[in-house]
Amino acid sequence: MDIAIHFYSYFKELTGCSRTIETVLPGCTIGDLLKQLATRFPKLGAMQNSTLIAVGVDYQDRSYVLQNGDEVSLFPPVQGG
Amino acid sequence: MKRQLTITTERIDEAALLSKRKMSDGMGAVVSFLGVVRGTEEERVISAIEYEAFLRMAEHQFNLLFDQMEKRWPIESVRLVHRIGVVQVNEPSLWVEVVGPHRNEAFAASQWLIDEMKRVVPIWKKPRA
Repeated sequence: MDIAIHFYSYFKELTGCSRTIETVLPGCTIGDLLKQLATRFPKLGAMQNSTLIAVGVDYQDRSYVLQNGDEVSLFPPVQGG
Repeated sequence: MKRQLTITTERIDEAALLSKRKMSDGMGAVVSFLGVVRGTEEERVISAIEYEAFLRMAEHQFNLLFDQMEKRWPIESVRLVHRIGVVQVNEPSLWVEVVGPHRNEAFAASQWLIDEMKRVVPIWKKPRA
């Protein structure tokens, strides 16, 4: 299945895009997705420990199992204010 | 708890916000906070900060924080304005107002809200030289 992924802040510069599509196998977790993405975007892979992950508008952890139609957002620590 | 959230590219007009304050007779404390862009960022001189938001998620996360705030403190209202886009040095980027019955709750709730905002609300800043 295809998962839409959005990048925010300097993650757009690390990947060279604000959005991409990644094809994953059923049962794939966010942890698996991050490993796949790290091969496409090595600079993003280097940021894994500080990457925040959302599905839709809620935070999720790496054990979350992706569902068809999920929109994943990846971004660095937030800095509002 | 009444809540008003504005995430905007428009300048924060503090006087206009203050003129629209509403509070009931039982309320005895108003805490308001204005966050202003400093002229230095990590010891480098800057001219502005560009704020970027994941808007839909930011609104959702702010509302989750307001939900928690309402459970923890007897706050009557919260108003919060966060600027996005380019904000020049000396201009405000954040305005928060919390109205409660006593100062302890109002101070604690506003401090907590701003701390949590900086932890979970997806807004980022990029300094401009």
